[in-house]
Amino acid sequence: MSMSLRLLRDRIPGASTVLMLVVMLLLIAAVTEALGSTVLSRFAIRMFIDMTLVLGLQMFMGNSNILWFPHVGFMGIGAYASVIFSMSPLQKILSLPELYPFLADVNLPFLPALLAGALVAAAVAAVIGLPLMRLSDFPAVIAGFAMLIVIHAVLTHWEALTNGPQTLFGVERRTYVMNSAIWACVFVAVAYWFKESKSGLQLRASRDDLVSTSSIGVNIVAVRWFALVLSAFAAGIAGGLFAHFITSFSPKAFFLRETFIILAMLVIGGPATVTGAVLGTVIVTIVYQTLRWVENTLNIEQVFAQPIAGLTDITLAVMLIGMLILRPAGIFERREIGWQALRALWPWTGADAAPEPAADPQVVRKAAETKQRR
Amino acid sequence: MVADSISSEHGVLVIESVSKYFYQLCAVDNVSLSLKRGEILGLIGPNGSGKTTLINIVTGVLPPTAGRVVADGVDITGWKSYRIARAGLARTFQRVRLFGGLSVVENIIVAAMSVGVGRREAFEDARALLAQLRMEHCADLPATALPFGHERLVEVARALAMRPKFLLLDEPAAGLNEEESGELLRRLSAIPAEQNLGMLIVDHDMHLIMRLCDRLHVLDYGRTIAEGTPEEVRTVTEVVEAYLGTAAAEEGYART
Repeated sequence: MSMSLRLLRDRIPGASTVLMLVVMLLLIAAVTEALGSTVLSRFAIRMFIDMTLVLGLQMFMGNSNILWFPHVGFMGIGAYASVIFSMSPLQKILSLPELYPFLADVNLPFLPALLAGALVAAAVAAVIGLPLMRLSDFPAVIAGFAMLIVIHAVLTHWEALTNGPQTLFGVERRTYVMNSAIWACVFVAVAYWFKESKSGLQLRASRDDLVSTSSIGVNIVAVRWFALVLSAFAAGIAGGLFAHFITSFSPKAFFLRETFIILAMLVIGGPATVTGAVLGTVIVTIVYQTLRWVENTLNIEQVFAQPIAGLTDITLAVMLIGMLILRPAGIFERREIGWQALRALWPWTGADAAPEPAADPQVVRKAAETKQRR
Repeated sequence: MVADSISSEHGVLVIESVSKYFYQLCAVDNVSLSLKRGEILGLIGPNGSGKTTLINIVTGVLPPTAGRVVADGVDITGWKSYRIARAGLARTFQRVRLFGGLSVVENIIVAAMSVGVGRREAFEDARALLAQLRMEHCADLPATALPFGHERLVEVARALAMRPKFLLLDEPAAGLNEEESGELLRRLSAIPAEQNLGMLIVDHDMHLIMRLCDRLHVLDYGRTIAEGTPEEVRTVTEVVEAYLGTAAAEEGYART
C-alpha cells in the first residue's frame, strides 16, 4: 500500500532533480570553458547570474504566487554593497569620492564581500518585509512595485554610496564562468530544498487558500517573510556577481528592463518549479541573445535602410504573451525534472516501469464528473 | 488568567455569551455552549442562523463583538487563526478548501507539521489516516484530481493530522449523496472516543445528526432556542421540532 508514499518520502532528500540540473549547468560551464570563446563566456556568465536571480525569485514568487517586482532592487543593493566591501581604498577615492569614512577603508576579499553584500540585501528585505508581507493579492503586487521605485530612487540619489545616477566604475573583475555556475548550482539546491521544506510546503499551501492555511496553524506572514529574506539573499549574490562581472554600472541596470526579463524567464519556465526557473532562464537567454545578435548584425551590415530597433524586446514580449495564453503555468507546471519524469518520457520502458499509483476507476470517473460540475 | 469555574475546566471548549454584529445586523446573539473532549455536539438550525459565523469566531477567522472563547482553560478570544489551531482546534469548511497545488499526502503532512509534528512522524500519520479512509492509492495524486466525496475525507484527515483536542466540522455531509454521507458519518462517529477529542458538527440532515450526536444545540436567528439530548430536543420542545421540520422541508432536506 505504502509504495507511493515511500517513493514520495524518498524523493524529498533524494536529489535526482537537483543532481540533473547541477550536472547540466556544470556541463554548460565546462563546455564554455573548453571552447574558450570570450563572447560565449560572457553569454554564459550573464546566464548564470540571471539564473541565480530567477531562482531567488522562484523561492518567493513561485511558492507564494505573489507577483513580485522589487527583486532586481535587491540585486542592485547587493551589487553596490558588495562593491563597497570589495573595492580597494585607493580606487574608492576615484570611484566613490563621497563615501563615508568608516566604509572607505573596508577592503574584503571577493567572497566575503559578495556574502556581505547579499546579507545587506537580505537585511533590507527583512525590514521592508515586515509591513509588506501582511498584504496579499493586488495590494501586495502594487506595494512591491512601489518598493522597486523606492529602491531605485534611493540607489539613484544616495550619491555617497552609489555615485548617484552616474556610472560606478573601477570594479575589479572577479566573476568568471565557473564561480557564477557554482553559485547558480548552489541556489538550485537551496530553492529545491526550500520548496520541499516545511516552510516551502506551508507557503505553497497559502498560494491556494489563505483561510484554510491559517486554520492548520500556519503563520503566513512569518513564512512569507522567511521566503522573502532568502530570495533577497539570492538576488544580492546575483547583484554582487553582476557588479564584479560588468565592472562598471549605474542604477539603471536594476530597473524595469531587467525586471521584465527575469519575470519572463520565470513565467515561461514555470514559476512553481525549480526546473522551470532553470530552463526558463536558459531558453530566454538563448532567444534573447540570439535575437540581439541578429539585430546587431542586420544593423551593422545595413541590410535595411533604417537601423531596426526593439526586435528583441518585442519578440520576448510576444513569447511571454503566447506562453500565458497557451500554457499559463509555464513549461514545467508542476513536476520537476527527475528520474521519474525521465522514465515516464522514455518510450521503451513500458507502462509498468513507471511507478504511477494504481488508478482507481472510481477516482478517475468522478474526477471527470467533478471537473464538469465546477 | 482568572477564569470562572466553567471556563477553567480542562478538556472543555467553552463559548461564553458570544455575540457578533455585522454593522446593525446581529448574526450571533449571546450564545453559550460547551463541548467536552470525547463527545459529539450537533449545532443545528436553518440557513443564516449563525452556525458558520460561530465556528468562524471560535477559530479566529472573525473576532466576536462580545463574549469569550475558552479552550482547555485558556482564553483564546481574539487570537489569530494559526495560534488557535496550534492550541488544539481544527476545523473543516462548508465549501471544501484543500490545497490544490499540493498532492493529497502533502495536504495532510503540511497540517501535521504546522502544529509541530516532525516530518517523518507526519508521513506516518498521513499514511495511517489515508489507510483508515481507504485512500492510500490517492496519496500522490494532486488534490484537484479527487472526486468531491474524497475531497471531504481528505479535509477531515487534514484536520485530524493536527491531533486536535476539538474538531469543528462545518456541514461535512453537504453535497454528498445519501450513501456517501452515511459512510462519512459512520467513520466520524468513532473518532471522538478513539482520540479523546470533542467534535462539533454542523449539519442540516436531521436524521443523521439525531443518530450521531450526544447532545444538540439549536440556533435560530443567532439565538439559542434549544439544547439537550436529541430526545429532549425532539420531544420536549415540540415547537422546535415543528420549526425544524418546516425549515428542512423548505430546503429539500426532508426525509421520509
